[in-house]
Amino acid sequence: MLALLAALLVAGIAQGERVQRGNLIVRLDGNFSPLALPRDRMAPVSVRIEAGLATSDQSVLPRVTRIELGIPGQGAIHSKGLPACSTRRLRDATTARALEACGPALIGRGAMVAQVKIPNQDPFAVHAKLLAFNGRVGGRRAVIVHGVSKKPPTSVVLPFLIHLRPGKFGTVLVAHLPRTLGPWPRFARFKMDFARRYVYRGQRLSYINASCPIPKRFTAGFFSFAKATFTLADGRHLSTGIARSCRAR
Amino acid sequence: MRRPIAITLITLVLSATAASAAEAPTRDEYVGQLETVCKPDALATQRAMKGARADIRAERLKVASKKFAEATSIFGSTVKEISAVPRPSADTARLAKWFTYLKRQESYLGQITEQLRLDHPVKAQRLTARFIHNGNLANNVVLAFGFDYCSFKFSRYG
Repeated sequence: MLALLAALLVAGIAQGERVQRGNLIVRLDGNFSPLALPRDRMAPVSVRIEAGLATSDQSVLPRVTRIELGIPGQGAIHSKGLPACSTRRLRDATTARALEACGPALIGRGAMVAQVKIPNQDPFAVHAKLLAFNGRVGGRRAVIVHGVSKKPPTSVVLPFLIHLRPGKFGTVLVAHLPRTLGPWPRFARFKMDFARRYVYRGQRLSYINASCPIPKRFTAGFFSFAKATFTLADGRHLSTGIARSCRAR
Repeated sequence: MRRPIAITLITLVLSATAASAAEAPTRDEYVGQLETVCKPDALATQRAMKGARADIRAERLKVASKKFAEATSIFGSTVKEISAVPRPSADTARLAKWFTYLKRQESYLGQITEQLRLDHPVKAQRLTARFIHNGNLANNVVLAFGFDYCSFKFSRYG
């Protein structure tokens, strides 16, 4: 059972760039659309990010305490005029209730798989549907992720706080996995699609925007697209980055 | 007369096998040895390539070409040095494949340098795409080794 679960988890994250430390494999993949972007100004884009952990020896995954996701400076999160939601309004809500409470703040959808290892039982996988909402937590801009699984029926609210930093990855989303989740669920992988267009004061805007700042004589450029860092309960940090290309239009 | 020759041959073969087994490192030892070589070179590459992306963005292709030339030279000497390190016997086929990718990486770096020097931006850009793809393939071959400085990281190149 454990081997089958591990095989499924590994198979599920077979694509993208991978890094292995000891028996632990961290993997990151992603893309954006459209590929062709203006050279000199931001344009609306949709972004897909997938990340996950797996073990090479089919052992149980370690507990993740913090997830950090960095995106480059040429991608910008724009939330001015977009309704915001709070973690309180999403707590214990079903997917339908979450959409009812915070639908106007919806910025993305996705899925997550966690491995659950209860002592004296075979581990099993929990599949959750994810919704991402624009929000504010402690006065800081945030992406609030709401996850609901049917089997067993569980819901979780995880805020990713948005930090702006100098360097290659100018926008960093940080989530601390609360102790209240308990010792049993182990994060395995997630994928999220961010695509939100909205109108504010007569202007058509997008939650995520990007440009392809390359010289006129080039037709494509390469850049560090994303970097994921997982902090484990034992203090270890595992990270990997991916490079992608854009085309100039 | 034949018997002593046969015994001598067997002894020679056995001692050669024992010697090669003693020389072959474990995978962990091998990774440790290679990382010692790769670390200073990876850091030197990072220093050499600093600002290369900004140079390309500002169309200073000749300046970028010089930075790529230095990175190519560092990469070449790293590959030469790590090629000489005895390999774990169980991993020889996998490492042979990895070294093929590394040689290809070195070749791509050299070609990018040349195309930038010749002021051919589109050719350089196509080669860069191959360089990144090949680097990821190389990483996948030795994923289980857990290399850090010896693995390909796009972020080191400017």
